Amino acid sequence: MTHDPASVDSIENDSSSGHQKTGTLAGADTAPGRLPLAGGDLPWTGRSRRIRPGRILIGCGMTVVGLAFAFPILWMALTAFKSTEAFLSETYPLSWKSFLPSQPTVDNFLSIFRVFGFERNLFNTAIVAAGQIVGSMAVCSLAGYAFALKEFRFRRGLFAFCMIPAFLPAEALIVPLYDVVKSLGLVSTYLGLFLPFICNPFGILLMRQAFREVPRSIFEAADVDGASEARTFLRIGLPGVRPALATLALLQFIWSWSSFFWPLVAMQDPAKQVAQVGMANFATAANTPLYGEVFAAATVLTLPVVALSIVLQRYYVKGMVSSSGR
Amino acid sequence: MILPAIVGIALFQYYPVIVAAVHSLQSFDPFTNEAVGFTGLDNYSRMFTNEGFQSALRNTVLYVMSSMLIEIPLSLALAVFIDQHLPGTRFVRVSVIATLAASETVAAIVWAQMYNPDQGLFNGLLSVLGVPPQDFLNSGSEALISVVLMSSWKNIGIPTLIFLTGLQAIPRDYYEAAAIDGASGFRQFRSITLPLLRGSGTVVVFMATLQSARIFVPIVLMTQGGPDGATRNLVFYSYEQTFQFNSRGVGSAAAIFMLLFLGVIIAVQFKLLGRRYDS
Repeated sequence: MTHDPASVDSIENDSSSGHQKTGTLAGADTAPGRLPLAGGDLPWTGRSRRIRPGRILIGCGMTVVGLAFAFPILWMALTAFKSTEAFLSETYPLSWKSFLPSQPTVDNFLSIFRVFGFERNLFNTAIVAAGQIVGSMAVCSLAGYAFALKEFRFRRGLFAFCMIPAFLPAEALIVPLYDVVKSLGLVSTYLGLFLPFICNPFGILLMRQAFREVPRSIFEAADVDGASEARTFLRIGLPGVRPALATLALLQFIWSWSSFFWPLVAMQDPAKQVAQVGMANFATAANTPLYGEVFAAATVLTLPVVALSIVLQRYYVKGMVSSSGR
Repeated sequence: MILPAIVGIALFQYYPVIVAAVHSLQSFDPFTNEAVGFTGLDNYSRMFTNEGFQSALRNTVLYVMSSMLIEIPLSLALAVFIDQHLPGTRFVRVSVIATLAASETVAAIVWAQMYNPDQGLFNGLLSVLGVPPQDFLNSGSEALISVVLMSSWKNIGIPTLIFLTGLQAIPRDYYEAAAIDGASGFRQFRSITLPLLRGSGTVVVFMATLQSARIFVPIVLMTQGGPDGATRNLVFYSYEQTFQFNSRGVGSAAAIFMLLFLGVIIAVQFKLLGRRYDS
């Protein structure tokens, strides 16, 4: 009854989450894009039915687990509304004031923007992120297209050449990378902050997989019609891989937005420094750290990205899983 | 078409490795940071006999092993729970994704405040439980595990999502058949779920190894390698030699050693797990 193909189809089609409820489907489809993570309450499956009496208990347990993971972020956002003095005096010993601001104030947010010009740092981060996103979409989709659809000499070898760097610990190679960027004259430029990261092994892998999933017959038809290579790529290839492009853009945005150590080393002009470094400066620059400002800046930096990745979790999860080499 | 990618990867990924390899064979003027000539393997022998390096190597292994011990069981449990669609699991899923989205810098700074021995939240919570205040990041014995806990919190989402993908690829009728045969939930987990998750498990082991071996920003922001070198790993050793001790040759040698060391670990893991995966 549940194995009726029609019902399988309807599950696939009418549910955006497409949870693989039946074995027929699950066996055939292991693409990471079909994760049921995009939301929607679904009927629980056979495995959990037996423990129904404990559902309330499980619900409480799950809420505790969820809270434990969300806690540092929630606490950060709540603490951003405390003055530095209140933060220092009220966190310990433990009371409700350790968690909630007793006298909520937005002074920290006013301070980071009015006194310290944090919007300048945010602007710089936005420029670098935009460059990194656009650049990597161009480079990775071109390379992915060629690796997926073209025959050329040394294709396998060149692909391996592009993938091996995924295993290099970038943190250990910051100093020689700095030498390279310096010899190109790109130290303290926006370009120098994002150029090294647009040719990304994960991005190339992601785009190659996506182009492979586009039906080949479309490209063959374009070929028969005499469409030029560039036209085929732009008009047929790219529209066919929109979800993967969105995934790549989202991942590159989060990576670029989060990067800290490379801008710390490669950007020596304070006016062009990015926001993560600006935030860390509140914690390290002054003799007494400006805790209020630190938490306000951290909140400004974190909440938009958290919101974005929850809203776009379908793309985000796909990217995270495929960028880990699956 | 692939030319931009090949050039970019050659220039920004491979070339720095070559630069580091060359620098590791040179000696540098500590004041100008200019190379003053080749010294063979001198930097390496200086590095191997350096106590700081030996403890950094030990700590790197500790980081990797403790991260795996925490992350693998925890992420597997989280993935199994999220996969069940029990009440509250959506909240768990959203929380785990939120930890991934927060930057390492923010995470390190916020956790450092929670760890603060004098005014931090953790000691407040511990005192409610009747546990005496701990030194956390200031303690030689607790600092490394404190960094690992923060880093595992930050990174747990990746192995969780990998396991979740693996779980969803397991055909549901396997469980139905097992249930008809009277297999208990635990038995189903042991005989169906675990063996079929081997592929995901292999990927998770690689990921967790790479990630925990290169923990860096949290060390810079939380401990600066201290107290007394207790949290210094190979990456931090390389950074410290280059920037703080102006010993660029040794710093580069440490980076190259780290590449080889990671390569060997990954190769061994591949050999052990890859074969099990085939069978």
